[in-house]
Amino acid sequence: MKKIEKNIVEYFQKIGWAAYVAGLQDTHSGNMSMRIGSRMLITRRGSMLGFLNGHDIIELSLEKNDSGISLASSEVGIHRAIYKETNGLAIVHAHLINAVILSFIYKEIVPIDVEASYTIKKVPVLSFELGSGSKEMEEEIPKFLKNNKIVVIKGHGAIGLGETLEEALFYNSVLENSCKIIMGIHSLGKNPEEFTPKEINRGW
Amino acid sequence: MFYGSWGRILEIDINKKTIRVIELPENIYDWFLGGRGLGAYFYTQYARPWDLPPLSAENPLIIATGPLTGTSAPTSGRATMTARSPLTKTIFTSNSGGLFGARLKFTGYDAVIILGKSAKPIYISINEKEIKIEDAASLWGKSTTDTTQKLKEQYTKTASVLSIGPAGENGVLFASVIADGARGFGRGGLGAVWGSKNLKALVVNGRKKPRIKAKDKLRSVLYEAHKAIKQNPVTSQALPELGTSFIMDVAYFEGALPIKNFSTNQFIGIERVGSAALQNEIMERKTSCWGCPIFCGRLSRDSDGNISEGPEFETIWALGPNLGINTLPLIQKLNRLSNEYGLDTISLGGVIAFAMEATEKGIRDFGVRFGEGEKIVDLIKKIAENRGIGQELKTGTANLAHKIGKEAEYFAINVKGMEFTGYDPRMIKGMAVCYATSNRGACHLQGGYSVGPEIFGLPRRIDPKQQIGKGTLVAKRQNDSAAEDSLIVCRFAGMSVLMENWSRILSAVTGKAYSAQTLSIIGERIYNLEKIINMKLGFSRKDDSLPPKLIEEHLGEEKIDLDTMLNEYYEFRGWNRKGIPTGTKLKELGLEEIL
Repeated sequence: MKKIEKNIVEYFQKIGWAAYVAGLQDTHSGNMSMRIGSRMLITRRGSMLGFLNGHDIIELSLEKNDSGISLASSEVGIHRAIYKETNGLAIVHAHLINAVILSFIYKEIVPIDVEASYTIKKVPVLSFELGSGSKEMEEEIPKFLKNNKIVVIKGHGAIGLGETLEEALFYNSVLENSCKIIMGIHSLGKNPEEFTPKEINRGW
Repeated sequence: MFYGSWGRILEIDINKKTIRVIELPENIYDWFLGGRGLGAYFYTQYARPWDLPPLSAENPLIIATGPLTGTSAPTSGRATMTARSPLTKTIFTSNSGGLFGARLKFTGYDAVIILGKSAKPIYISINEKEIKIEDAASLWGKSTTDTTQKLKEQYTKTASVLSIGPAGENGVLFASVIADGARGFGRGGLGAVWGSKNLKALVVNGRKKPRIKAKDKLRSVLYEAHKAIKQNPVTSQALPELGTSFIMDVAYFEGALPIKNFSTNQFIGIERVGSAALQNEIMERKTSCWGCPIFCGRLSRDSDGNISEGPEFETIWALGPNLGINTLPLIQKLNRLSNEYGLDTISLGGVIAFAMEATEKGIRDFGVRFGEGEKIVDLIKKIAENRGIGQELKTGTANLAHKIGKEAEYFAINVKGMEFTGYDPRMIKGMAVCYATSNRGACHLQGGYSVGPEIFGLPRRIDPKQQIGKGTLVAKRQNDSAAEDSLIVCRFAGMSVLMENWSRILSAVTGKAYSAQTLSIIGERIYNLEKIINMKLGFSRKDDSLPPKLIEEHLGEEKIDLDTMLNEYYEFRGWNRKGIPTGTKLKELGLEEIL
């Protein structure tokens, strides 16, 4: 197990802090990773993403377990599966409150604001018997991330995939903002589906 | 009607050659569960006086199972062994995995108490129908593997055998008792207690399964426990796929792997002794203890081409980086030799590391320096056979340092006479409290194994360098550990299976209502009982200490403020500042009646 370079640690710290102050994470949940060749860097199990230090970034193989598995996020299997099945290079998984609320109602979240409808389009909501770190999740989630930038896991949170951590974070942030807007429309007694941009329904 | 346990104990006096079956009242099980708890309880009942010499005939030897032993609970094949230790002079419970615990339980007895000293070498055999004390003249002097093989040939392959090797016969103060030629009641020199009694081996061969009160409920709570083991990456991936050797990599990553007698945390060639090297270079196949779904054990090939059990993390560290050695096949050879002679590899590594530092500092020339691996083969033989320099080294680090003088005591890495394990307390502050306060000396496991939360984040992560709160955390974990050691289950399973789970499993097995809280209180009772015994053996706050080297020499910016952590620890425990349990605490735990 190697010590991680300072500039990489600072990069993770920046993204983790941004996710935390934006209210995308609670104090301890969520995780993020980067693909580095045939290996990956992933946040440590139980780490506080808003307050990461050098020992909170764990390097391990994409193919097989090494000692890093004992410290890595318990959802490392899903990260590995996503890297194997997609061309993504960075993952941010956040427990987005409003996206989780909507996940109990919708089978897909359809943004009605311009930013999200342009950036992330329809977001699938996936439901699993065991909603955290299961084999079923490892098999299903990558399939959906081949055609979507972000997916929501019912009652759990979202997984954004990008070429960089910042991009993956951005999709989480955009989705959560969009969900807030949908919640706001609901709170005014209106049906958000009435406001769905035509482009979305045409399947952009 | 008993469930889980049998309510029957064997008392064997090998001097008088008498065998007695004791029906133990149920309330003793309620208070002490089994294993380590029963060991402490029986010590108070049989040791007269309490401060008897550890190698005297009067030192009672208690081998016990727990209420979960031999059931379908995960990791339930373990047993404990308790006596006054010749190494630490404390009460001492050692604990072993493998198959022995289950096989003993299946004989229909929960524990065996061995009293007295035989005039000539003997072994004991126990099955459901008869107990025999047999002549062991032909086994005396043989290795643990040879002894095990001969007794299994004589009885049956399904029998389980405990035996000592030449180290125990020759009074090495860190001699171990080996289970089935592979696993060990490693620590504390209980092998020397066996040797002093002329007890060579114990053969158990039973088939009687313990009664379970609520089988359906047990199936359901075991499902929860197995699910927890499968969901945790440590118990479902790291341990099964890499064995315990992955801890080497993690401890080094954290800067907490002690190198060359705790002189540094940097080591050239660490990758040569890490988990990848073990898997790729010497491992033959995985092994497992009774009832364990984790499979952390390994069979490996050594530099002579022999295949044997191990090496585990602690052995790799103690006979590797701690001695400046980075050759895994050699380490496995040293491990195999130690097991055959019946030596605790951790204390062995500790005393040799001490000798190396003494030599390099010019304080005393033991003829061995850091990195001189091949010389260790000879040292092991000399220690176990009580020859030459081995006659001194066999007394352990603390005794040897004391003999040399204060200058040597500075770097004698021990607490209460027991050598440290592979975690530097300067980098994992909870371990400073674990080592200092453990009732059996510098023990990572009975000390509370704060590595769980401090490194692995199990169940939740806490900053390993923080000092405030560690005294409290460790005390709580020591109580839970005492309960685990009395059930008896493995610490690795405990990384996933929490006290809530164990309490539900125990409730299903026994039909009695337990909660995590009640188990914790039982653990606290056991811990306090051991503490009181140690007090009566002459131990006090001054013994809850750390070696001067670890206090005075900082590792980077890290230093230990032990006094502050100890005060917090005592306060949480309801002990006074001298580390003595108060009358109120003893009354609360119901111990005043026993004492």
